[in-house]
Amino acid sequence: MSHDTDPHALPLARRSSLHPAAGAAWRWVSERGVLLATGDATLARYAALSSRHWPEVEDLVPADGTLLLILRPGAAMSAALRQALCADATSPSGASGVLHPIRVEYGGVAGPDLDALAARAGLSRDAYINSHTAVEYRVAFLGFQPGFAYLQGLPAALHVPRRASPRVRVPAGSVAIGGVYCGIYPASGPGGWHLIGRAAVTVFDPLRPRPALLLPGDRVRFVAA
Amino acid sequence: MIDVLRAGFCDLVMDQGRTGYGALGVPVGGAADPAALVYANQLVGNNKEAAGLEITLAGPQLFFPAGGMVALTGARFAASRSSGAAAPWNAALALAAGETLTLGRAEAGCRCWLAVRGGIAVPRVMGSRSTFLPAGFGGLQGRRLQSGDALPTGNAAEAAVCKVTLQPAPSSGRVLRVIAGPQAGQFDDAGLAAFFGSPYRVGPASDRRGLRLLGAAVSHRSLELPSQGVLPGAIQVPPDGQPIILGWDGPISGGYPVIAGVIAADWPWLAQLQPGDTLQFETIAVDAAQTLARQTWIQGEVE
Repeated sequence: MSHDTDPHALPLARRSSLHPAAGAAWRWVSERGVLLATGDATLARYAALSSRHWPEVEDLVPADGTLLLILRPGAAMSAALRQALCADATSPSGASGVLHPIRVEYGGVAGPDLDALAARAGLSRDAYINSHTAVEYRVAFLGFQPGFAYLQGLPAALHVPRRASPRVRVPAGSVAIGGVYCGIYPASGPGGWHLIGRAAVTVFDPLRPRPALLLPGDRVRFVAA
Repeated sequence: MIDVLRAGFCDLVMDQGRTGYGALGVPVGGAADPAALVYANQLVGNNKEAAGLEITLAGPQLFFPAGGMVALTGARFAASRSSGAAAPWNAALALAAGETLTLGRAEAGCRCWLAVRGGIAVPRVMGSRSTFLPAGFGGLQGRRLQSGDALPTGNAAEAAVCKVTLQPAPSSGRVLRVIAGPQAGQFDDAGLAAFFGSPYRVGPASDRRGLRLLGAAVSHRSLELPSQGVLPGAIQVPPDGQPIILGWDGPISGGYPVIAGVIAADWPWLAQLQPGDTLQFETIAVDAAQTLARQTWIQGEVE
């Protein structure tokens, strides 16, 4: 269901959107960008494709149900790569990434939205914190800022839409909730997620040998400080 | 060493960028016209990975206490030397010890690149000397140059001789060639007609993160998209219908529908657009775009 057909025909075409169920569906973003619909198998496909050397591939960027392949300038996809994209998507990888226990100071100045979020969820402050610390999160992908990890696994009761108006400045290390995701702001800056606490970890430092603390597939467990 | 007597509007240390960190949320960045910087490096005998300066709209005044070999490529700016000698583009300029090079405003276009023999020797961060302004790292302390800065330069004797015969890509033209994007099929006929059939103006809120365009609204069914990977040149359409061309320091993912992507062969022109310029889009086939990119870059391989 790939299409690298004549784009001049585009205005007449009514093509369906990328559909995760299609597994190997892919579309061009530009002649260097190939967007794969990977659905729940995004991490598995990312792991599978990254484990091999593709001379024509410059980078692989996992996101929310999609995986972007960036081709080197001027490179075309080899038959082997096309074949790998069309192969059956494997089920979510059972391989476990590194587990990071992260201590969090909940509420107060560190987490100014905690009380409102607890009230919205119909929970006491302590019950909210217990709920947030009870589960193991998985890094689905990184984006927004260098090192900003989108953590999957937030209990459904804690899902909440982003703030109507973003804060101008969110302190680095803020633990935040946005939609179905939890995240930790790597650097101070504007942010639209709800702040529930602060972690005393440096999640991104470009000068470290491993700049990002959290990588796709890693796991996180929050611990109340 | 180069002393920055007066900084320009936005002078950034740049090389070919940092590849392979997309999964960490870090874009490649690097020179907005990578080939133009390679060409400048070639002119002074550097290898193509050497760092130079990317100069935007109005340039700096630079003092060379020990002299140096420099070259300028890209858009032409007003330029003068304290020696009174000429400062032509696309040529190696031998500056005497104590000479000052003064760049004024861009005469046409938006950006030029300055290479110095030996390269600008700031430390590499994540494999690159390029400045990444949005997160404040790379280049000179992660920021644009300021008056009073001292720029370290590499040992000129160690610069590798480069055999490339790359010519700078032409930056003239009014049409950006694009590949239809992943959500192109979800725009309605009126939206597609607006996008492909009408001119857009580059808005004032444009920088290396993205070019914000102003013009006919590109209507679409309000799409709620999960965050998807994007790359420079991808054209997002937010709910107000005014397209954004993602730039070199843009985000690596986003949730707005992507209608099209500017081909790499047209990045040199993208790099020269400034607020107020107008442009139009036309589609090109993927394989044709890949061939055009090869014509630029295969020649650029350093032996």
